[in-house]
Amino acid sequence: MKVVALIVQTVRELVAKATLFVLAGISTLIILVVLLSIGSTETPEGVVLTMFSLPVSPPSPADKLAEVVSIMQAGFAGGLFVGVVIFGVFATAGIVPDTLEKGTIDLYLSKPVARWELLLGRYLGAVVVMLINILYFLGAIWVIIGFKVGVWNVHFLFAALSLTFVFACLFSLTLALGVLFRNTAIPIIGSFLHLFVIGGILEHRDQSLFLISENAVYRRIIDGFYYLLPQISAMQENVANLIMQQTITWEPFVQSFLVAALYFGAAVVLFMKMDF
Amino acid sequence: MQAISSESLSKTYKRRFSNRNLVHALQDFSISVQPGEIFSLLGPNGAGKTTFLKILLSLTRASSGTATILGISIHNKKIRSRIGYLPENHRPPGYFTGQQLLSFFGNLSGIPRKVLHSRIPLLLQTVGLSEWQDMKVRKYSKGMLQRIGLAQALINDPDVLFLDEPTDGVDPVGRKEIRDLLINIKHQGKTVFLNSHLLSEVELISDRVAILDKGKLLRVGSVDELTSRGLLYHIGVESEIPESAKEELSAKVLKITYGVGTLAAELTSIGELNAVIDILRKHNVGITSIVKQRSSLEESFLNLIKREVAV
Repeated sequence: MKVVALIVQTVRELVAKATLFVLAGISTLIILVVLLSIGSTETPEGVVLTMFSLPVSPPSPADKLAEVVSIMQAGFAGGLFVGVVIFGVFATAGIVPDTLEKGTIDLYLSKPVARWELLLGRYLGAVVVMLINILYFLGAIWVIIGFKVGVWNVHFLFAALSLTFVFACLFSLTLALGVLFRNTAIPIIGSFLHLFVIGGILEHRDQSLFLISENAVYRRIIDGFYYLLPQISAMQENVANLIMQQTITWEPFVQSFLVAALYFGAAVVLFMKMDF
Repeated sequence: MQAISSESLSKTYKRRFSNRNLVHALQDFSISVQPGEIFSLLGPNGAGKTTFLKILLSLTRASSGTATILGISIHNKKIRSRIGYLPENHRPPGYFTGQQLLSFFGNLSGIPRKVLHSRIPLLLQTVGLSEWQDMKVRKYSKGMLQRIGLAQALINDPDVLFLDEPTDGVDPVGRKEIRDLLINIKHQGKTVFLNSHLLSEVELISDRVAILDKGKLLRVGSVDELTSRGLLYHIGVESEIPESAKEELSAKVLKITYGVGTLAAELTSIGELNAVIDILRKHNVGITSIVKQRSSLEESFLNLIKREVAV
């Protein structure tokens, strides 16, 4: 009950922020563009996907159309994820540091609510808001493509859950940094650094960091860093594979879940030891 | 069972990576507050008043010592369902309306929805915010924020209420309303623990007062005990006091000064007061009033702090 109250409160707080309105606005704009532009035309060579009446795919036989559509959907999901991460991290990075501010934390902790419940409620609230955003965008695109092209790819809907999971893993890092530094800037910088720089370098460490040295200890350390961070790009790749109904590797999801649990646990331990 | 009890409570803040420059926010602090009392903690800025409150509410851990509220250890989370707290300079979430804010803190306190439905309008009425219940809290004035803060502290109908500068930013009419509310809460058998700089207000409503400075408890007692100036009396007289009476009085009383229609006598016993009255009556001096002199709580407080600084 208390955690539910905190989730609802966090949703309310995030809805009140302009950042998420921008994300929802951009999503709505893209949905409208897709609604007004996407279609398909039958040619003697096969079905062609069109946008604004211009062909955007080679002619495909009717049974191959679903495959072409799924590639397009994977592109939508990938684009959405970048948007969700950028706006989502900006919007949510402050919710924990704001809670820890003098005069605010006193109000929360004077109530019979455990510190872990407070963090969990705030964390889940942020994840729920992102789920709603992702479902809104992907759901609308799914319905539009379904009606206008006639392809109902259920895997595209599953991608909403997967992308939310990816965000949740990243947000555990944001949350831990928020508790540790009690400000908003460092969690944002840390999350973006991981997402756009460190994560990519570590993911492709055999083509970058491993070239520096062949020393086994050095490589183990680099591997250690890799496994201590959520594997965002590997998961993203798998989400695309899920939409395109290709083989999925579960290992990055499992590993990222464990790492997220570790970060959340560390944040709770740190929070429990704090004096206000 | 005591409402609040602390035994040898100490809090020392250390600098990171260094044991030098320790700050002793609270030193060996022991007090007990009885149920149904309005108890006030006074002290200059940085005396340790808020630190003590934060330890009681488990916002800060004590370096040593123990404390209980209603006989339950402060470390037991359950005790927080029986207390209310209004922090100094509190910052409630501004995106809530007043009504939503109380509902949210009621949920966090584990109060059933039905109870909240009936309690929230009453509380809003009590703190004078019924008219503004649908306004976002971020638009509230300082005084309104204090009122909604007080309402959230009362949302669980607490047995012990902790208030840190509750009348800060509230206008005189509002302050009077808050004082009346606190007295009403006391009459319900509940305990009020007050931190305040407004000594004149504390004096009006407190049963007992503790004075704290540099983390140390200087004095505890009733307002009467703290403000009493020994046996100093002002006696109003109808006519001029004859010289013969003055001579007799000087022989009887340690220190006596004369004004127009009045005399001030510093006595060592009530027997001396009776002797003064007898002398005046013997010389046919009519007595119009006898008033025991007290200092204000503010004077007593300042004297005590000055003495402490001198030591």
